[in-house]
Amino acid sequence: MLEIQNISKSFNQKIALDDVSMTINKGEIFGMLGPNGAGKTTLIRIINKIIVPNKGVIRFNGDIMSQKHLSNIGYLPEERGLYKNMTVESHALFLGQLRGLTKVDVKQKLDYWLEKFKIQNWRDKRIEELSKGMAQKVQFICTILHEPSLLILDEPFSGFDPINIELIKQELIEMKAKGKTIILSSHNMESVEAICDRVVLIHESKKIIEGKISTLQEERKKNEYAIKFRGSMIAFVNALWTGFEIVDKEILGDDKFIVRVKMRGDNKFDDLLKVLIGQINMEAAWEVLPSMQEIFIDLVQPKEISE
Amino acid sequence: MKNSWIIALRELKERLGARSFLVMSAIGPLIILCLIYVLFAMGGQSKQHWNVLIADPANIMEGKIASSKDASIDYSFADGYIETKEFEQAKQYQKFDALLEINEKVLSNKTAFVFFREKPSMRMQKRIQYQTERRLEEVLVSQFTRFSISEFRKIKQPINVSFKNIYDPNDESSKMDGWVGFFYGTIIFLFIFLFGMTILRSISREKSNRIVEVLLGCVSPKQLMLGKIVGIGIAAFFQFLIWTILIGLGLFFMRENLFPDLFDASNMNAQQLTKDILNQTSQEQMFTAREYNEFVQLVYERINFLGMTTYFFLFFIIGYFFYGSLFAAIGASTGSESDGQQFVLPLIFMLFFALYSGYFTLNNPESTMATVFHYLPFTSPVVVMVKLSQGYKIGHSYELFLSLFILIISSLAVLNLAGRIYSNGILQFGHRVRLKHLFRWIKN
Repeated sequence: MLEIQNISKSFNQKIALDDVSMTINKGEIFGMLGPNGAGKTTLIRIINKIIVPNKGVIRFNGDIMSQKHLSNIGYLPEERGLYKNMTVESHALFLGQLRGLTKVDVKQKLDYWLEKFKIQNWRDKRIEELSKGMAQKVQFICTILHEPSLLILDEPFSGFDPINIELIKQELIEMKAKGKTIILSSHNMESVEAICDRVVLIHESKKIIEGKISTLQEERKKNEYAIKFRGSMIAFVNALWTGFEIVDKEILGDDKFIVRVKMRGDNKFDDLLKVLIGQINMEAAWEVLPSMQEIFIDLVQPKEISE
Repeated sequence: MKNSWIIALRELKERLGARSFLVMSAIGPLIILCLIYVLFAMGGQSKQHWNVLIADPANIMEGKIASSKDASIDYSFADGYIETKEFEQAKQYQKFDALLEINEKVLSNKTAFVFFREKPSMRMQKRIQYQTERRLEEVLVSQFTRFSISEFRKIKQPINVSFKNIYDPNDESSKMDGWVGFFYGTIIFLFIFLFGMTILRSISREKSNRIVEVLLGCVSPKQLMLGKIVGIGIAAFFQFLIWTILIGLGLFFMRENLFPDLFDASNMNAQQLTKDILNQTSQEQMFTAREYNEFVQLVYERINFLGMTTYFFLFFIIGYFFYGSLFAAIGASTGSESDGQQFVLPLIFMLFFALYSGYFTLNNPESTMATVFHYLPFTSPVVVMVKLSQGYKIGHSYELFLSLFILIISSLAVLNLAGRIYSNGILQFGHRVRLKHLFRWIKN
């Protein structure tokens, strides 16, 4: 769907993107993760033809990306705004027409979305009458109104309350099911990794890693398991022998814990279960996979320490 | 282009719905009409009684002028020739408002001069001219013809009575026609300034509320800039049309209602009307019917509204694009809504300089600098208006089109440069604008 090839961009002397390449496949939710200032927004702006790269090309469905492809893209920037004195409907009409819809189309689609989000009575409200969260919903509707085949959302959940975050997440999953491609950018990796199929990590203008979340986690898992149990912590420790190492523990109550255990040598999860059964009242056990945040820190920190 | 038009329409809708637009539409014409009314009224209240000294060294008039005394003019005769300097300064002549100089060749060259201290109203000028002409006709008829005076008047040629300011005999500062052009030019720059600032504010507001990035996801920065300039420009145009209609209606109303009451001869003090005038000839009826002051005459009779207005619109539109793109570039390069004021100042200075260049051209129409200002794109809209109202010399109308051509080319160039600054600056936030940024953005 979108091929980003060797993109570099610098502002004055500062390098914002350094030879970044990646591929976004049709129908996937692609996460663009990285700390603030990594270069994510610059890359998104380049995709949207807002700024021009110093080097590299972007292909959209095989064609070199041009202004005409913008009507296939829905872009919700991180720093988004609305005209405060315009009504929700006039705003939708303005942005919808800019994206190639007719007035009739805009009105029909707006009806659908207002009804879906149960906000029909907002239609004639001025933006200044809406709360921040309400305005963000309107922004989201305006972004998807023209049913773009590629949706680019920069920090989409910032400012939303948990209920609306869930609403938007569900909407994105539905859109993916309809074959739409979605790029999510965030510095808050936990907020988006749950719904992303694949991610790219960007740090200090460079791409660090790209791939399926499950693959990345598999590759970087540390052979750790979590055990949730009732009983005595002393009994738990006594049950373990040198083949296991307690990495972390979380006290849930007086006699309720979650303990992270790392396997040593050739020990397997089965071995751990064997030594614990009968010693403690086990409630759950699962393999601990690293979060994207942990993977990112793992990838970045040694480099920074060595520097 | 379609997207630029959608942006222009949104901008236009916002402007037309803004309270400030409605307020300016009403207040602007009202202020101008009040000023015009004051100028009319002041003209009507000019000196009503004149002391005129007639210097007639050859005694051509034989110490006589009007057959009956004119209540509004007292004539006195001087024996010898009087120098204008002497009339201006000598104590014994200070009681006279004007000096009518009848030189010995008046009967052949048909020219007499009136040197005044304060410009007489048109009515007073016509009266002095009329009475001088009548007396000289009598002299001509009696000395050179066998006609009766009524027969002579059928074939006579008028005497040219030239009115000159005693303090400015070369008449350099009286450029009434030029003032009309200057007024047009001032209106152009007033609108450019008002709506240029609107462009600047609108762009910096879009920057600070961040909607600009949403828009840039749909349109290119140059399309966005063009759409804004066009939309606000159409609003300016609408406002100008409203001003024109309201001022036109106001002038019509004044002419039909207030104006005759103020200046019509029949409403004047009975003392001012001599018996002679009451027994008007058709020629004199014409004089009294035209008893407007000079400004009134200028407004209603001397301005070629159609021609001026056509060029006004051309120079207004292109000049607006020239300055509008500069305002847009400054708006886009600001780091915050309050920032960038220092870059507005040079632009305001340019606008004032353009107004000054119009004033300069008014007073020195033939100077080299006036020619330079005529072609400089940032001064030409006002200077061309002045020149147009003064009239181009025969065969020199190409100057007008050359100036228009230069303005069009420069506006396109400025639009392009401003587009570059706009494209680079519009997504820069929270910085202090420096000149080096602007140059760098132009180069990018």
